[in-house]
Order: sequence, then structure tokens, then C-alpha cells
Amino acid sequence: MAKGTELSQSEIEAIVERAKKGDREAFGVLVDQYKDKIYNYVSRMLSDPYEAEDVTQEAFLRAYRSLPRFRGASSFHTWLYRIASNLAIDVVRKRKRSEPTFSIDEPLESEEGEYERELPSEDGGPEQRATTRETRLAVRRAIMDLPEKLRDVMILYELQGETYEDIAEILDVPLGTVKSRLFNARNRLKENLRSLVEAGEIEVGQ
Amino acid sequence: MICKQAQEDLVGCWGCADELSSEILSHLEECEQCRHEALLLRETQVMLHSLPVERAPEGLTAQIMDRLPHEGQQAGWGERIARWLVPERRMQWGRAAALGAALAIAIAGGVYWYGQEQQTPLQEQVVATTPASETGGDERLAITDAELDELILKHQMLEMSQPLADDVGVGLVVYTSR
Ligand SMILES: [Zn+2]
Repeated sequence: MAKGTELSQSEIEAIVERAKKGDREAFGVLVDQYKDKIYNYVSRMLSDPYEAEDVTQEAFLRAYRSLPRFRGASSFHTWLYRIASNLAIDVVRKRKRSEPTFSIDEPLESEEGEYERELPSEDGGPEQRATTRETRLAVRRAIMDLPEKLRDVMILYELQGETYEDIAEILDVPLGTVKSRLFNARNRLKENLRSLVEAGEIEVGQ
Repeated sequence: MICKQAQEDLVGCWGCADELSSEILSHLEECEQCRHEALLLRETQVMLHSLPVERAPEGLTAQIMDRLPHEGQQAGWGERIARWLVPERRMQWGRAAALGAALAIAIAGGVYWYGQEQQTPLQEQVVATTPASETGGDERLAITDAELDELILKHQMLEMSQPLADDVGVGLVVYTSR
């Protein structure tokens, strides 16, 4: 199976069945298929590349151990997200306990800079890149300022493209809760960015 | 009142006009405040969606595959203990302090284990102690120091009174550690 190929739902189900029986190679295909998705999600939740890497690894290890008990009541990808979400929220809570003054004024970054693993994007000259970089930093801070329950829904819906129904399954909350959290998250994010936008300090690219 | 309704509706569609009722649309024409909120929402959305996708670091798949238990999900007792005693990334919650006690658990448990022809697989013990096993992500798996102390204490008591008793706590301690 070629790496990076998008697999169909039925192909995934067949591979999950093989992995459930202990086929490591099949599980490797699942890791390849979902690692970027899970990493991006966890990375946005935690804003720390090292913790994101740890949590992503742990999520897959737990998935592997728990696979024999995966009955397929939900899709594999919502099940995997659910594991990752639990682990990420756990990290957020541990941070709160150990660092009550955890500040997003100094977002955690890797030594190479925060975007070393990003997909290449169309850019227009150094000046615009710098502005865009500041804007991204401000948005990341605004996201980190959301309470984790709102942040979770916001990231899953807006950045990961998950449906209301899948998010309800991932977070094990009613559909109405997903919608109201998303509404509140959008509102809070707008307020978090208001002063910067109104002061013209953020350049909104298209 | 209409401002409140207008601003709520605007959040639902990130400040766009497409899904608004004609009543709200005509309100927007005359209310500068609501137009400003619509603009803020649109800008917020554009900024949010301009965040690039972060890709998993190189070699992540290989690292994960290296860490998988080698005999499928039914990893042996000894392997689980070994994995627990030799942390792969960092020391956690006084693991070192618990080491001595864990060794005692491992030896006693191991003797029992091999004597019983594996009639109670560890996996089943673990299931019995983790209610939300289906999710694989039960928060309770992240055991606290106090819980660990209590488990070890309970185990030691059991060890003294019934040396060959099957202690599900052993499974929990081993399983929850990484
Ligand atoms: Zn108004």
C-alpha cells in the first residue's frame, strides 16, 4: 500500500480488522493514514510540538492496545480522535495543576521556530511573511485562551473539518452541546482578537 | 433586542449575509454596530482558517511501530513490567520511588503467573479495572501518586495474607504506566 494514499472507508475497515488480529503492518498503515490529522489536532490543542508528538505517539499506542475491544460502533477515526482528545485534555489539566500561571504570552516553540513542519504555503515577500507570522501567532494565542472544552470543539470543527455528529461522538456529548460550544467558541475567539483587529495590528490576508 | 438577535445569527455564519433573514439584513443596513460585528467575525474566520496544517514529524510512524508490544495485544507479563521499569521518555510520578515495590510485585506476580498456566490473562484483568475500556482513553488510567501508593499498599497487605492471590491491582499499575 503506497504511503500517503487516501484510503476509502471500506479499505480502512478491512485494515482495522487485520490490525485487530494483531497484524502490525496493517496497524502501520493506519498510523500513516491518520498521524498528520491527529498530530495537527493535538498540536493545536496544546501549542507545543514536543507534547504534541508525545500525545500523538501515546494515542496510537493506546489505540493498538485497545483495538481488540474496538467493536466498530463508531468509525475508527472518531474512536482514535477520542483517545487523542482524552490524552490532550489530560495534559491541559496537568498543566493547570502544575503551572497555574501558564502563559500563552510566550507560546512554546521548537528551537527551529514554530513553523518548521508546516506545509508550504503561497507567500508574498519577506514583509508579508512577517506580518502573516505575527497574525498566526496572535490567532494561536487567541485559540489557547479559549477554555479547553470550547477549544476542542473549535479545532475539531473549524480546523479538522469534523462534522457535528462526529464531534458529538468524539467528545461523548449531545449534538446540541457541540453546537452551543461552537457558538461560544466563535464568539470568544472574536472577542480575543477584537482589540488587535480594531487597532489594525493584525493584517487579515485572504 | 434586534441587535442581539442579529449578532447571534451572525456568529452562526461567521458574519456572512447568506443565511440571514430579510429582517436581519435590513437591520444591518441601518445599524453600524452590527455591521462592525459582522466584519470582526469575518476577519476572525479568515485568520483562523489561515493557520497552516502542522504535519507529524519525520519518522513518527517508525517510532510508534518500535514501541508497539511485540506479541500483539497480549503482551506478556514480563514485557509489561520491563516496559514500565524502563521508561522510554521520561520519569513520571515518582516511578523511581515505586520501583522497589514494583519489583516485589513483579517477582511475586511472576511466580504466580507461571504457576497458573496463564489461566487469567493480564488483558482481562486490565479490562476489569478500566470501565471505559472501549475508548482506550479513560482519564482514570492516568493514575495519581496517592492511588499508586494505595494500590501498592493493598498489594503488600494481600501479599502477606494470601501470597498466591490474584491481584488485579498489579495489572492496573503495570498497564497504566508508560
Ligand atoms: Zn444592530
